[in-house]
Amino acid sequence: MEEQRIDDNVTSNNGVIDLSHHLSDEARNRLANPLKDIMRVISECPVTDLITMANGDPHHSLYPFQQIMYGLPSVQDPSDPVTSWNNSGRTQMIHSYRDQECALPIRNAFQYSRAAGLVQCKDAITDFTNLIFAPPNHHVMLTFGNSDGLTKVFRLFGQKGDHFLTDEFSFPGMTNCPLAYGVKWVGVKMDSGGIIPEELEKVLIRWDEAKLGRRPRLLYTVPVGQNPTGSTLSVDRRKKIYAIAQTWDLIIAEDDPYYFLRYDVPQTNCASADPDEFIKNFTSTLIPTFLSMDVDGRVIRLDTFSKVLAPGMRLGWITSNKLFHLKLGEYTDSSTQPPHAFGQMFVTEMLSEHGWKIEGFCRWLRSLRLEYQNRLDLLLDVFQREVEPTGYASVKRPEAGMFVWIEVFFEKHPRFVHERCSGGSPVVARTNTECLLKELFERLMNTQGVVFLPASTFAIPENALWVESDGHVPLSDRTRFLRAAFAGTEDMIEKGMIRLGKGLREFFQE
Amino acid sequence: MVFLPSTASATSAVDVGLKRSHVDYSRYLSAEARSRLPNPIKSIWKVAQVKPGTINMGNGDPHHTLYPICEVNFVVPSIDEHDPVQSWRSGTGEQNIISSYKDEPCALSLRTAFAYGAGAGLKDVRDALADLNDRIHSPPNHTVSLSLGNADALTKCFRLLGDPGDSFLCEEFTFSAMTNAALPLGIEWVPIRMDNNGLVPSDLERILSNWDEAKQGKRPHVLYTIPCSQNPTGSTLSLERRQQIYQIAHDWDIIILEDDPYFFLQYDLGVSQSTIQQYGHTRAMAEVLPRSFLSMDYDGRVMRLDSFSKIVAPGMRLGWVTSNSYFADKLDMLTDSSSQHPHGMGQAFVAELLGSNGWGVDGFMKWILSLCNEYQRRRDLFMDVFRQKVATSGFATAEVPQSGMFVWIKINLEHHARFSASQTPTVPGGPTTNTADLMDELFRKLLNNGLVMMPASTFAIADRTGMMGSHINDRVNFFRATFVGTDETIRNGLATFGRTLEEFFL
Repeated sequence: MEEQRIDDNVTSNNGVIDLSHHLSDEARNRLANPLKDIMRVISECPVTDLITMANGDPHHSLYPFQQIMYGLPSVQDPSDPVTSWNNSGRTQMIHSYRDQECALPIRNAFQYSRAAGLVQCKDAITDFTNLIFAPPNHHVMLTFGNSDGLTKVFRLFGQKGDHFLTDEFSFPGMTNCPLAYGVKWVGVKMDSGGIIPEELEKVLIRWDEAKLGRRPRLLYTVPVGQNPTGSTLSVDRRKKIYAIAQTWDLIIAEDDPYYFLRYDVPQTNCASADPDEFIKNFTSTLIPTFLSMDVDGRVIRLDTFSKVLAPGMRLGWITSNKLFHLKLGEYTDSSTQPPHAFGQMFVTEMLSEHGWKIEGFCRWLRSLRLEYQNRLDLLLDVFQREVEPTGYASVKRPEAGMFVWIEVFFEKHPRFVHERCSGGSPVVARTNTECLLKELFERLMNTQGVVFLPASTFAIPENALWVESDGHVPLSDRTRFLRAAFAGTEDMIEKGMIRLGKGLREFFQE
Repeated sequence: MVFLPSTASATSAVDVGLKRSHVDYSRYLSAEARSRLPNPIKSIWKVAQVKPGTINMGNGDPHHTLYPICEVNFVVPSIDEHDPVQSWRSGTGEQNIISSYKDEPCALSLRTAFAYGAGAGLKDVRDALADLNDRIHSPPNHTVSLSLGNADALTKCFRLLGDPGDSFLCEEFTFSAMTNAALPLGIEWVPIRMDNNGLVPSDLERILSNWDEAKQGKRPHVLYTIPCSQNPTGSTLSLERRQQIYQIAHDWDIIILEDDPYFFLQYDLGVSQSTIQQYGHTRAMAEVLPRSFLSMDYDGRVMRLDSFSKIVAPGMRLGWVTSNSYFADKLDMLTDSSSQHPHGMGQAFVAELLGSNGWGVDGFMKWILSLCNEYQRRRDLFMDVFRQKVATSGFATAEVPQSGMFVWIKINLEHHARFSASQTPTVPGGPTTNTADLMDELFRKLLNNGLVMMPASTFAIADRTGMMGSHINDRVNFFRATFVGTDETIRNGLATFGRTLEEFFL
């Protein structure tokens, strides 16, 4: 049973400030592994060949796996492995062995492991993380994907009565989770470039602790290809937000599943045969993360294989400072345990000498990004042909991700209502935008047979106590968007936009 | 916020006729579980799936053409061997390859396995396990949800059922890594006395009938038990005890968390060869395996936790929870709000293994029977060597375990010169012997002689009710030993143990 160890060459703190006051009561009260003391005594024992009759771990000779083989795309075609995969389908087999040499042998992979995960997989992902993200002083922990990671992060910092900050349109699959244990959300105003730093600051300055309880201490954001708006935070905004986080002592939960799907970047020189040069070119097309600027250790970054390998991989990783890393490890040991052998073996072999290596994985990522960009181009082309001419909707080209945020001009609808009243609560709707939106959503689904998610699904409820009273446009009145995903086939995208155009005409011309 | 009611509820196991529809299970739930919202995106997704021809541009799910895995092949033992585990270990047996594909026919396509799904897990896998449940337990009316193994399932059940300040019941020696997990949730443990045969039902009754809500808070409504190869004591509850415990649970309205990872590792079974030949391994095993709490659960108060960890491998990170459909639904909501459904490769593997191209359910039970024989051989070796090298001195004794991996070795400290049974407790209700100190000394002595066994103190749950009558530290004169290692480990380990005991006592 391996004990959690941090690299000895990472000294404690090393410029990282003490953030332990952010932990929830639950996290604070969590006991480390009860066997830890025993394990320490055992590890301090000078006897070299200890016989252990301590653990109920099935012996590896009883694992019914001798070998596992995975069929992957060959990344031999350096320019476009994704298209090659879908055309010729040339396959490369990678193997996990029990009895032969490989990056993560079966006999190790299927054992019980602790906290951060199996060392071979953790090391492979740490190498990748260091190369691509260059975190100043952080540690990698494996997760079952970003839902798993993020909800663990929420439990680490949130308890009843707390407020968390996030984009005013956010992903309810995640934001709903801490509601059940009494954490509330404060939505921060966005524009097409994501969270507006000045608005974030206003919320914090204006926060009345007497009325609302403790000032929010955690910001949850999806900074690249934000879900649902598709926005990407610029470097300038990231720096501003980080500075605000330092001033107001915030933790930043950087949830980045679409990080590698960033469009309209200068094409990496794919003819470059030199792996290091390719990687260098590739990383130069990536936007600096909050993690990379995290001198304080206040960023917890969540990466996942869901969108770049497959959702059912159920594997991701969290990069964070030492304290949070240990606390997350304790929580993992007290709940899900580290991830499954299959995923850890697959990723370790994929990144190894026998697989794609980091360079090959980057080629896959680059190719994937081009593939999604093609679909984005198609969607926008058909949108321009079928939807834009109606005059009822428009869309901006997103910098990244899988979503376009389609703005619908409900004010053009015959039944659009705008109440001109002054005074009253700044968060109560002045228009029937949201009602019309829901109606449009249902019509499109039931009559046209196309599903887009209405912005109302994503809107974080506002509270009059934390919005500016003067000139604030209630979120409800700004909830005038449909989220469209372009992850489907070309046929679906084309048909979907055609049906949208038709549906809009029928809706507005009733 | 758009909310659409979910259309379909969780898949039910085969209904053998008992209606549970009017029982209100919501009162058992934690405040958190009661206020949890379903995932609104999944609700919309379900509705969108209903109408054929609907184009779903609502979800950001990568298309399967972009999954960079077209096949996964698992090289596994052939189940045609007479004794598959022996053949596998010795390397003499045949192998099978079972495969899952993205673009070719198989039991569970990678297109499905690698997509997002619902928290409960894929229907094919749930159905296969529900079928196994039916053949082994014949549960009255229950639903299967997949888990990431029993630690995951159990800790989710804690969140589902426990509020801060709640008291939960458990065996006084238990799997403390799990009971510790409940503590930061504000749950406190109330230990129940055990004897050689496990949890003592009359003590459970005593605790519940003496419970004073004014002084102690809400009466416990959850019992956590490991009925087979109890961890750490290795005992297996008899049918009679299980029925008594279930009756008490019924009387006092208790939910039973049946944590059963060792259920399929049973010894001295006397499996009928003729039944195997006539009806197959599943029926033959079902006839001799213990009666689970699930099998007698007419109230729907049992949540049974099964795991592949001990019968396939720990790294599978896969198991299944069987409970009434209301709890299953709430559990799935929690899963959708946290870890999500299990990984595709694990589900694909189980589907292929239990499918017609793999071992099938009967073949799986054949592997399990073979595994039982292997573990039994090691148990027998352990007990033989124990008798020869340890028991002869009289310093330690052990019962023969009927299942699982643990032997609970009693150290007869009363033979020790420095054993004291009449100490004044340092705190009221504290220990009156120096058992804990002597055991600590012995543990370190064993360590220095090169042997690790787990001391009972690691697993001890101290009583806080003040009504147990004796402090558990007076009863920690045990080691938990496992017989999962090689024959050499067992022989050398027990030789060292015997020798060390002699040094310690003399």
